[in-house]
Amino acid sequence: MNHRTRVYDSIFEMLPGEENPSPMVRIGKMNPAPAFELYAKLEWLNPFGSIKDRAASEMIRDLESRGELRRGETRASGRGIVEPTSGNTGISLAAMASAKGYAMRAVVPQKVPLEKRVLLRIAGADVDVINDQMCPSPGMGEGSIGIARSYAKAQKDHYVMPNQYENELNVAAHVRTTGPEIWRQTEGRITHAFVSLGTAGTAMGLSRFLKGKNPAIRIIAVQPSEGHDVPGLRNKSELHVTKLFDEKQIDEILEIPFELAYTRVLELCRTEGLFAGPSSGLIYEGARRVLERDTKQKGVGVMMFCDNVFKYVSSMVRHVPGLGEE
Amino acid sequence: MSSYAYPEVLVETDWAKANISKPGIRFVEVDVDTKAYEVGHIPGAVGFNWQTQLQDQVRRDIVSKEEFEKLVGGAGITNSDTVILYGDNNNWFAAYAFWLFKLYGHRDVRLLNGGRVKWLAGADLPLTAEKTAVTPTAYRAASADESLRAKLLDVIEIARSSSRPSNLVDVRSPDEFSGKVIAPPGMTETAQRGGHVPGAASVPWARAVNQDGTFKPLEELKQLYLVEAKLNPGKPTVAYCRIGERSSHTWFVLKYLLGLKDVRNYDGSWTEYGSVIGVPIER
Ligand SMILES: Cc1ncc(COP(=O)(O)O)c(C=O)c1O
Repeated sequence: MNHRTRVYDSIFEMLPGEENPSPMVRIGKMNPAPAFELYAKLEWLNPFGSIKDRAASEMIRDLESRGELRRGETRASGRGIVEPTSGNTGISLAAMASAKGYAMRAVVPQKVPLEKRVLLRIAGADVDVINDQMCPSPGMGEGSIGIARSYAKAQKDHYVMPNQYENELNVAAHVRTTGPEIWRQTEGRITHAFVSLGTAGTAMGLSRFLKGKNPAIRIIAVQPSEGHDVPGLRNKSELHVTKLFDEKQIDEILEIPFELAYTRVLELCRTEGLFAGPSSGLIYEGARRVLERDTKQKGVGVMMFCDNVFKYVSSMVRHVPGLGEE
Repeated sequence: MSSYAYPEVLVETDWAKANISKPGIRFVEVDVDTKAYEVGHIPGAVGFNWQTQLQDQVRRDIVSKEEFEKLVGGAGITNSDTVILYGDNNNWFAAYAFWLFKLYGHRDVRLLNGGRVKWLAGADLPLTAEKTAVTPTAYRAASADESLRAKLLDVIEIARSSSRPSNLVDVRSPDEFSGKVIAPPGMTETAQRGGHVPGAASVPWARAVNQDGTFKPLEELKQLYLVEAKLNPGKPTVAYCRIGERSSHTWFVLKYLLGLKDVRNYDGSWTEYGSVIGVPIER
């Protein structure tokens, strides 16, 4: 493994960590407070295309080390993974499981973009698409989580469920990799981390690591408005499904009209050359709001740009007039 | 624990676990997501599909008495069996099936408190993908008890009357109630107009349940329906939603947990009311 020449023996060696951090790129024209150093951390440059490579690799390694996974004569005769996912965790898990010879079943809500559902299949996953948007309401277990849990319970011999919504490793992955990367990349100068909330693994892990280094570092989360269409993210009303979320670990949560995620994606692409996806667009909007409160402020902020826009072409066409060909 | 008006219509997961495959006790799963049963169910449970088995496939109506007999008898259930219903989304469609079982006079039918979500959460509660073997029975249903059902004309009469409270409960989401949307996103059954029946109180159905899927305690339910929504327990009460399923859940709460005397489910609900020419609508 040689991160200098970037020649590797296997794709797994490219997984991010302190010695091989995902890049950070400084925001130029789109930074409203020029004295504040605002960076985007480009998670789509991880080997399987998103921030979820971190949690997924941690969880799969753990399952392997505990002997929970088994290769079969045929894929169906072994013991593979079943996971509820909005796409990215599933894509990372599926790619790694396939490369290691395990089966993978992804249970995804219907609102997950077509691109991600197809990518899951390309990566070798069986995909169950679940309609769980009928009448979302507090207290209701999410359909995709229930179905994944059903596979793991009813077919124990064939499936194990890492469960990113409850698995502490989803937090630990960021304590082990993302946090130390940022600390080193900013030489300990970071003052603000801008994150989104899906499973809340990123937010909780970064909070734990960074506040451990310096309690004054502010962890700022964004949430899309209710009824949103930003895959991977949750409004606060949907956060009860993740057992990892603890509001006390976050300094501020900004609610942002979800359509702005798509507007900002365009600007980031066209102004900064950053092909960021909608959750990054929303995070950028959050950072911008914080900086606009005082455009003279100084500091060092890192925004987690979780994945790129390629997986959201159909969503972009839906939300941005004039992009399609109709 | 507060005592509901008819506590015998609810069973807890512990009780259910202890009574799996006991003769005379039959579990029936009814889900919104009709795939869920096949992926895994309580051992010995049969699954009913609300789209193809609980409604008439030609007319817009509940299944006929004859079809209901065929369905229940075909599932190996006898008239004297205790039927335990459970399902996803906090027993939403299981409650609809409960309403049908009551409507067709089944003597002993109960809901599994917490439904599928609570069952899945219990580490020691078994789930299987194995097909349940059944021996068909000659099940006999009673004629439909129409006193459990509100019809369009009943609801129009309530809408036109100025008497308040009207004791109509709209159990849909706030956006459906306000007319901002006609149906939740992605739904095919919808109405021509958005809004609600004049005089209806808005109490989204899921407010009756806790985070773990179980029903809220009596005092909280009283607060919700009798104090906040101001329902008068002495008056006939009607619950409605979009297609009559979510409202069965509230119907169950009002009739069996709170013990209101005359509660009816308006199964035509908003898809019917919101499409009728000339009826009053409020936004
Ligand atoms: C595109 C995207 N952005 C953000 C997130 C949120 O990350 P986390 O689950 O760590 O809160 C996810 C994860 O689900 C995601 O897929």
